[in-house]
This record gives sequence, C-alpha cells and structure tokens, in this order.
Amino acid sequence: MSFTTDKQTLEDLNIFGKHGGDSIYNIFNRCVTRGGAAVLAELFRYPLADFEAINKRSGIIQSFALAGTSFPFKGADFDAVESYLANTDERSKLTVQENTVARKLTNMIAMDIETQQIYKGVEALVALMKKTQELMEELNENKFYKQENEEIRTILNNPAFTEMNQSRGKLSPTQIADFDVMLRFRYRTLVEKLLQHIFHLDVYLAIAKVANERKFVFPKALPAGQPDLLKLEGVYHPQVKNAVPNNIHVTTDNNVIFLTGANMAGKSTFMKSLSIAMFLAHMGFPVAAQQMEFAVLDGVYTTINLPDNLGMGASHFYAEVLRVKKMAEELQLKKGLFIVFDELFRGTNVKDAYEATIAITSAFAKKRKSIFLISTHIIEAGDVLKEKCSNINFVYLPTRMNGHQPVYTYTLEQGITGDRHGMVIINNEKILEILQNGKKQLRKTTANYGI
Amino acid sequence: MGFKTDKQTLDDLNITGRFKAQSVFSLFNDTQTGGGEKLLEGMFQQPLTDAAAINNRSDVFNYFHNKQLSFPFNPSTIQAAETYLGEETGSSYLLAAGAHLRRKFLQMAMKDEQYGQLQSGLLATIDMLKALQQFLPLMEGCPATGLFETVAVTFKGDKMKWLQEVGVDQPLTLLQLARYDHLVRHVLRNEMEGILRFIYHLDVYIAVSNVARERNFLYARALPKDQHIFQTTALHHPALKNGVANPLHLHEDRNVLFLTGANMAGKSTLMKSLGIAVYLAHMGFPVAARDLVFSVRDGLYTSINVSDNLNLGYSHFYAEVLRVKKVAEQVAEGNDLVVIFDELFKGTNVKDAYDATLAVTKEFAAYRNSFFVISTHIIEVGAALQQECDNLQFSYLPTIMEGSVPRYPYTLTAGITNDRHGMIIIENERILEMIQE
Repeated sequence: MSFTTDKQTLEDLNIFGKHGGDSIYNIFNRCVTRGGAAVLAELFRYPLADFEAINKRSGIIQSFALAGTSFPFKGADFDAVESYLANTDERSKLTVQENTVARKLTNMIAMDIETQQIYKGVEALVALMKKTQELMEELNENKFYKQENEEIRTILNNPAFTEMNQSRGKLSPTQIADFDVMLRFRYRTLVEKLLQHIFHLDVYLAIAKVANERKFVFPKALPAGQPDLLKLEGVYHPQVKNAVPNNIHVTTDNNVIFLTGANMAGKSTFMKSLSIAMFLAHMGFPVAAQQMEFAVLDGVYTTINLPDNLGMGASHFYAEVLRVKKMAEELQLKKGLFIVFDELFRGTNVKDAYEATIAITSAFAKKRKSIFLISTHIIEAGDVLKEKCSNINFVYLPTRMNGHQPVYTYTLEQGITGDRHGMVIINNEKILEILQNGKKQLRKTTANYGI
Repeated sequence: MGFKTDKQTLDDLNITGRFKAQSVFSLFNDTQTGGGEKLLEGMFQQPLTDAAAINNRSDVFNYFHNKQLSFPFNPSTIQAAETYLGEETGSSYLLAAGAHLRRKFLQMAMKDEQYGQLQSGLLATIDMLKALQQFLPLMEGCPATGLFETVAVTFKGDKMKWLQEVGVDQPLTLLQLARYDHLVRHVLRNEMEGILRFIYHLDVYIAVSNVARERNFLYARALPKDQHIFQTTALHHPALKNGVANPLHLHEDRNVLFLTGANMAGKSTLMKSLGIAVYLAHMGFPVAARDLVFSVRDGLYTSINVSDNLNLGYSHFYAEVLRVKKVAEQVAEGNDLVVIFDELFKGTNVKDAYDATLAVTKEFAAYRNSFFVISTHIIEVGAALQQECDNLQFSYLPTIMEGSVPRYPYTLTAGITNDRHGMIIIENERILEMIQE
C-alpha cells in the first residue's frame, strides 16, 4: 500500500509552492543536475509507507551527511549527455565505412552539428563513466550505499563497456562510432539506469548537505502497530526564522491532539511544522527537529486553508463537511493516517460548530491507529470531550499580556486555554477611535453646511 | 475623483477579469472589436461618480436596448481598417503618390505585397465608412452626445462627399488610390480617429444592451448624493439565470442591513448581488434589479472572502481586522460608501467575535451617509444592536425543513433567525457512521 496525500495537503504545507516561490521542495533542491531535481520532485510526490524502505533511504542520506561527501560532477557534464541520448534516430548512427579521406577532411574543416553533438556526447558519457567508476571506489567504505554501489558497478563492469573504461586520451573516430552504437542503441537501457543512479546520488548528497547546513535530524521509522505512534522533540517550522521548537509525544492512548490558543498564538504554524515533519519523515528525509521516532502511517491529510468553492455553489461550511467526509472515507479503509484540521467548522455558527466539533472529534477518537490534530476556537467543546473520551491530549499555545501588548511564547502547554485577545488587537489597531474621531469631523462639516 | 474600491472587492464580486469564467466583465463582453473590448474594460475599471454622467450613459444603453440595432460592421473589416489607418503616410500628396507608384511597380515586377495590402486596407476603410453612413440615420434620437454629434457633423458636411464617387467592390485606379489615401490618412486623420472611437462605443453599446435584453437586465436611475437612498423592488445575482429576486431598501434612517441565516441559505449570494448591482449602476450599466434608484456613492468595499496571508505573518483574524481598519479609515474620511461585510470576525472565538461585531457595527452605524450590510452567525449581536441603535434593519434568509432535508426559499424576510442545520448536513452526509464502521 502506498502513502497517500492530496492536493489540499500539498498546498497547505507549501510543499511545492506557487510559481517556484519559497517551498519545502526548494529548501531541499540543491541538486546539481536537472535529472536530480526531477528525481527529487518524484520523491516528494510519492512518500513511502514501508518503514524498511524509509530507514534504508534515510540511512543512505545520513551516512553521506556524516561523511560530508560532495557530488563530484558539474551540471554541464550532463547537458551534452542528455541531448546526445535524446537523439534516438537510428539514421544518425556514425558509420565506420564512411570514414574516407574526403570525410576526414571535411570533419577537420567544419563538422556538421549533429556529428559534433554525437562526438561530444560520447566523449562526455565515457568521461562520466570513468569518473563514476572512481567515485564508487571511494564510496566502497559506505555500507549503507553498498547495494546501489554494487548495482552501479555491475553496469560499469559490463563487458560491453570494458573498452570504454580502458580507453586513454582522445578517442579516435572509429572508437567514437563503435561506442556510439553501444551507448545510444544496444545498451541504452543500461546507460539510462546508470544515469538514474547518478541522479539519485545527486539527490542524496544534496539532502545530506541541507541536513548538515540546517542541522536537521534523521527520524527513525518504526513498523506500524505499536503503542508509540510519534515521539518528536524540538520540532519547528523550517521556513520560519527563529522558530520556537516544541515537543510532542503521541501514543495510542492520546492520539487526538486538541489544540487551543488565541489568534496569532501560532496554532497554524505548529500544525504545519508537525505535518511537514511527518511528511518529510515518510520520505526518509531529515526533518527540522532535534529527535524524531515515528510509527509508519499510510497517509497525511491536512485542512488548514480550505477555500470555499462558491463557483460550484458550495459554502465554506459545506466544503468543510465534504473534507471531513473524505477523511471518513479514507479511515473506512482501515488506514493509519495523520489528519489535521485547523479551526474545524469555522464556516458555520458557533452552536453548530460546537456540536459538530464534539461529534466528529469523538468519532475520530475511536480510531486509535491514526493521529489527529484538531484546533478550534470553541473551547467549550474541549470540556465536553474531556468527559467523553480518554485518549485526547489537550494542549494550548499561551499568550502573555504585557500591558496592552500580547506576547506569544509559541511553546506548547498542557490544557485548554480561554485566552482571547481579539478586542485587544482591534483596540491596538485603533479602529473604534478612527470611527469615533471621523464622526466628529463629519458633524462639523454638516454643521457648516447648515450655516 | 474616481469611484473608490479595491482588489479585494473586485475579487469578492468577481467583477473584472477577461479570462475568468463567470466574471461580470465576461458576462457583458459580447463585443466584436478589440477596441470595443478595451473600451468596455476601461468602463469596468472606472465607474462614474457623477449622477448626470451615469444617467446619460444608461439612457444611451436604454436607447439601444429598445431600438434593437445590430452591429453594422464585419469585425474583420474593422480590423483591416484599423491596421491601415494606424500606419503613417507622407504629408505631401506628391511624395506619397510617388511611393504608391513605386509599390505598384514592385507589385507588377516582383509580386511585392505592399501595394495589395494598401489597396485592401483602403477598401476596408471605405466599406466601413459606407456602412457607417447608412447606419447613422437609424440612430435618430439617440441620447449619446459628444462623439456622436461630431461624427454626424462629419458625415453631413462636404468632407465625406468623395465617398459617393467610390463604387462598391470596384478596384481602385492608382490615381484614385493616391487621392483617397491622402484624404483618409492625412487630411481627415482626426475625423477618422473619431470615427473609429465612435465605432468602438457603438460596439459596446450594442453588445451590452444585447446582453441586457437577453437576460432581462434593467436600467437604474442615479440620484444626487445627498438623498442617501438605495432602493429596488427585485434584486438578483446577474450570473444566476433563475436567481430569486428580493426587494431591498436602504436609506439614511435604515442604513444598516443586519443579515442572518443558516449556512447555504444564500447570504453570500444576496450580498454579492447587492455589491454587483451597486458597481454596475455606477457604471451606468444595466443591472439585475428592477426599479433601481440610488444616490451616487463615493465607493464600494466588500469583505466576503478574506484569506489569511501567512506569508506576511497574518492570521485569518488579523487579516479581517486590517480589512475593517481600512474600511473604517475610508468611512471616517467622510466618504459616502456602500460597505459589505460577510461573516465579520469569523476567524476568532465566539466571545471575541460577539464583542468585536457589536462594537464595530455600532460605530459604523453612526455614519448614516453610508450603507452597511453585515452578516453574522452570532445572532445575539442582533438582539443587543436592536436595543442600542434605531437605524438598523434586520432581515434573514429562511430555511424550511422538509423532514431531514433543508430547503432554501432565498426570500428575504424581516427579523433575525436562529436557524442552524449544520448537524443535519453532517448527518445527511452520513459521516459519523462512516467513521464508526
């Protein structure tokens, strides 16, 4: 079973971002090659749901991060190779027979572009293979990368490539014509496989570098079906400067996190931090935290910035209902999920929201395999839920008042908060004053008209 | 000073946007020419703030509405004429004629296309002028002034006599071509520009009045500012063909409409209908409302889909606060506005929302020169406001339950409702059963 998520989640967490703006993908995309960037996007699109696969990938990246290995190729090394391999036209094969004096002369004076491209491509690819051979020798020590290393060597040691590996100096036209047939046609699949391995290596090394620079940690994946669902220390949002870290420990006995807090106290940011960590962890990637252990889940779904779809005639509330319904459908498939709802049912009146929050949260609470993170303004629902369910973890983000100025600690505390500072914010923006003073001026002008 | 509004308002009401489906602009954009489309866009960008100008424009639309004239030109002819007239020509007749001769020669000798293009451009222009000449008499009694009169005078005078000499569909001799080209592109240059602009206006008038006729839109009457009135007997959303129409009456003594209703009862649609009607009425355009009379306002602000802006570090609530602040500043400056707030302060907890809605509504209500429409789920605010202010009207959109299925009649009713059917909607979707299975 593969790991599932959806467009809403990717947008909420800003995984790919809009128009290439700041996104989680961009944090990690330090790949040298274009192929590497494409592989990275693929990894983001398909996180893993198998703890062994996750641990294997994170082990490889971690080993590179420890060794500080750097990627020895340049992006330009691949440009010639890519355009060369893209040409699959059989007719463009170089033929040895044509190698007449006349042709040699023309080639010496001015080679036609296609031939030139093939020459360059073959030379670049042969150089690439030699360099890879050397790199694999170097990486011999790395036991995490052993399997891939061996696969790469098997390709490179294929008898067909022996002559290439042993070639020295400038290649002769005959050699190039021979190699061309091998590389581009006869052993094409092998060459492509080799390139994919190199692109993956590029990704691993890029991520290792990011992990080192940003001091991200590598989470440990555990098989599903154990009481400890998530142990996370010092988690923070990778895109927020000077972010405050938080700890959270989720077991099957407190798998519903009920989050309260005033506006601007950082509820949404905490929910995003946690979700991003879960998402990255399921990719085998390092996360913005001090320590993380998690039991593998089958999917992540967040609902943080749900747009209403008035074009389709659905109100905000109805959009939320449909979203909850979708979660219910997924849960019905006996999946273990990480589900996040920010401000559940904010599109409706308070009483409806109160009833609905209680009904939905207590229904979710029966699903002990999944983790739920629900924030709400309706603190009254929390009191009822406390009575009703035993596995809800009540946490809040506090606000301290410093005179009239609210100060936010962004540090989770246990319990439910009744903090509310909406009126303070309105007063700080002086909205009522603006209106009161404006009115006075207006009275003056109307009085003048009277005269 | 122009009509005040902002991007949030235009987005809320989905007014502008050439490529947005269902925008009000694309609803009216039935224009045939590029110039007409541009002109229409300009009208959408700048609503009017002068009652006389508004009434004048709506009279013109109304005239075309009743006359049922169709656009007398072929769009490709207009395009060819535009290209031709847009090119420069020499100011000296002799030099220009010499150039034509050279082109003619090139055409014969080397199959050069310039001469052919010149000739077809000029012929298109002549076609266009002839069509216009025939069309003008049909426009007797049109209330459009200015441009229309100038063009009419041009055609009545001697300047256009030469048009009679040209036969239809006859190729021009070199001499004719040189003469007419000089006339059209040099001597009558300003007149031609006026004529093109007139044609664009004609395009817009006909396109908009056609849409109005097809969709049964009607024309509003603008009144001077100081009467402070907005009144219609039947208002509906222009994009909804079978929308339910509601009467609405705002004036100085009842300048705040306090709107309640369950989810999906149609609150947002009603507010959007009002916003769009206000906007279109200030453009002098036909509106989806019957017997609409309104005092001209200085601007329109709505707050229907405020999104949080986490990139700037705003929470949803803070975004709303900033929005209210912006409107408050405009109101406090003494502008006569129409202000629409949907679900004010929904991004916060109940108690805050109650306090904030009450305080802000009370302060806004004191500005009797502006109209406010405020919707909320917190009906307790309504009860408190009833005690404190005398210039509010309370209306709601009802929900009728048929068994467990809610039905929405979308008719505005006086009073405050505490209808709520959120749980029924959840139950109808059978979500709880699904989770518990």
